Amino acid sequence: MNDDRAALFEAPDDIDAINQLYRARRWSDGLPVVPPTVERVRQMLACTRRPPGEVVARIAPGFGAATVERIAINAVLAGCDPEYLPALIAAVEAVAVPEFNLQGIQATTNPVAVWIVVNGPAAERLGINGSFNCLGQGAWANATLGRALRLVLQNCGGALPGEMDRATHGQPGKYSFCCAENEAASPWEPLHVERGFGRGASTVTVVGAEGTMNMNTHTKNAGELLRAIAETMQHPPSNEYCHGGEPWLILAPEHAEILKAAGLAKGEVKRRLWELSKMPARRMTDKDLLRVEASRGNELGRIGPDTMLPIAPRPEDIWIVVAGGPGTHSVYVPCFGNSRAVTREVKDPG
Amino acid sequence: MEIAKRGRAAVTICSTAFTTLGRAQAKALGIPALPIAVIAHPFGLRKRDEVREMAKQCVRDIVKLVS
Repeated sequence: MNDDRAALFEAPDDIDAINQLYRARRWSDGLPVVPPTVERVRQMLACTRRPPGEVVARIAPGFGAATVERIAINAVLAGCDPEYLPALIAAVEAVAVPEFNLQGIQATTNPVAVWIVVNGPAAERLGINGSFNCLGQGAWANATLGRALRLVLQNCGGALPGEMDRATHGQPGKYSFCCAENEAASPWEPLHVERGFGRGASTVTVVGAEGTMNMNTHTKNAGELLRAIAETMQHPPSNEYCHGGEPWLILAPEHAEILKAAGLAKGEVKRRLWELSKMPARRMTDKDLLRVEASRGNELGRIGPDTMLPIAPRPEDIWIVVAGGPGTHSVYVPCFGNSRAVTREVKDPG
Repeated sequence: MEIAKRGRAAVTICSTAFTTLGRAQAKALGIPALPIAVIAHPFGLRKRDEVREMAKQCVRDIVKLVS
C-alpha cells in the first residue's frame, strides 16, 4: 500500500542535527539514534525476502502499519545489524497476535514491557546472549533488538509516553528487554520445543513482563528452592493473582540442575510451584479482592478471605526458561496478567 | 468505534487520565470526532455519594453528546 511507504526526509549530513530532528519529533526513545539513510535501510532490507511494502502487522493503540520497510528503519535507528531483521519481524508478528493483548500492554498505566526470548540456532548465529549478564548491558544483539521492537511499538503504534502510553512509571525494560535461553546449560527441553516448534527451528517469544525480581538462594535442596521461588512469586498487589496470569521464571543453570538432580521434570516443577505459590485471598486489600472476584469469579467461584488463590489458572501457565551464567541467582518475571506470551518462528535465515 | 463506523450513535467514556489516549486512538482509527464523556480521575478515593453524583452527571453528558 503506497500510503504505508515511509516518507523520505532531507536532513543535514550532521549526526547532531539528525538527532535533534529525531528528538524534536519524538521519533526516538530518548537515546541517540543511527540515521536511517537510504543505503542503511537498503542493507537492512537485503536480509529479508519479504517485500518492503508488506504490512507485517498493525500496531495498537494507533494501529499504524508496521511494514517490512518501517520495521527495517526502526532496526537501523536502534543500531541493529541487518542480520537481526528477520528476528525483529517475527517479534512484530508475535506482539500483534490478539492473545498478547498489545492494546492493553501499550496503553496501560502498568509498567509492562515486552521481553523477547530467542531460541534455536538464530540465538548463537546472531550473538544473542543467554549466559552471563544476559539481561544486562554488553551484548549488541540483545540491546539493539529489544530497542528496535520498542521503537516499532512507539513509532508505528503511536505509544508515546504521556500520550497513548499511559504508564505511571514504566520501567528500564521499556528501553530494551531481550535475551536468549541458555539451551546448552539447560537440563530440560528448550522453551521453543515445549511450545511446539522443532529443536532446529529458531523462534522469538514475546512476554508482557512487569519487571524482574532476583532470587538469590544458596540452597542445594530442591524442596527448599521451590519454596523460596514460590514465596517470591506471592505478592498481594499482583496482576497475576488478580487476573489469573502467566508468570515466568528465569532459572539459573545451577538452580535448574538442582531440580533436575532431584528427578523433577519441568512439568513437575511447574505443578509444585503452582501449588506452593497459592496465596490466601485475605492478603489482598478489600478493593483488590473485588477486582479478583470480577476477573476470576468464573474460574474460582465464590472468593472469601480463606480462598487460596492460584497465581495462574493452570500449572502449565507457569513458564520456565533456563538462562544466565554461573551463580545462585534466578529471576522471577511477574507479568501483566491479561496477556499470553506468543512464539513465532524466525523464517528468513539471517 | 465499530458502532460509530456503522453510523450508529456511539460515545466513549474516559476518565481525565485517559482522555488523551481516547482522542488519539479515535483519530488513529478514523473517527476523530468520536464523542467522549469525561469523568474526573481518580475516583477511587471518593465517597459513594460523590461517585453516584459523578455517574448521574456522566449520564447527562452522554445524552447531550448523542442528542
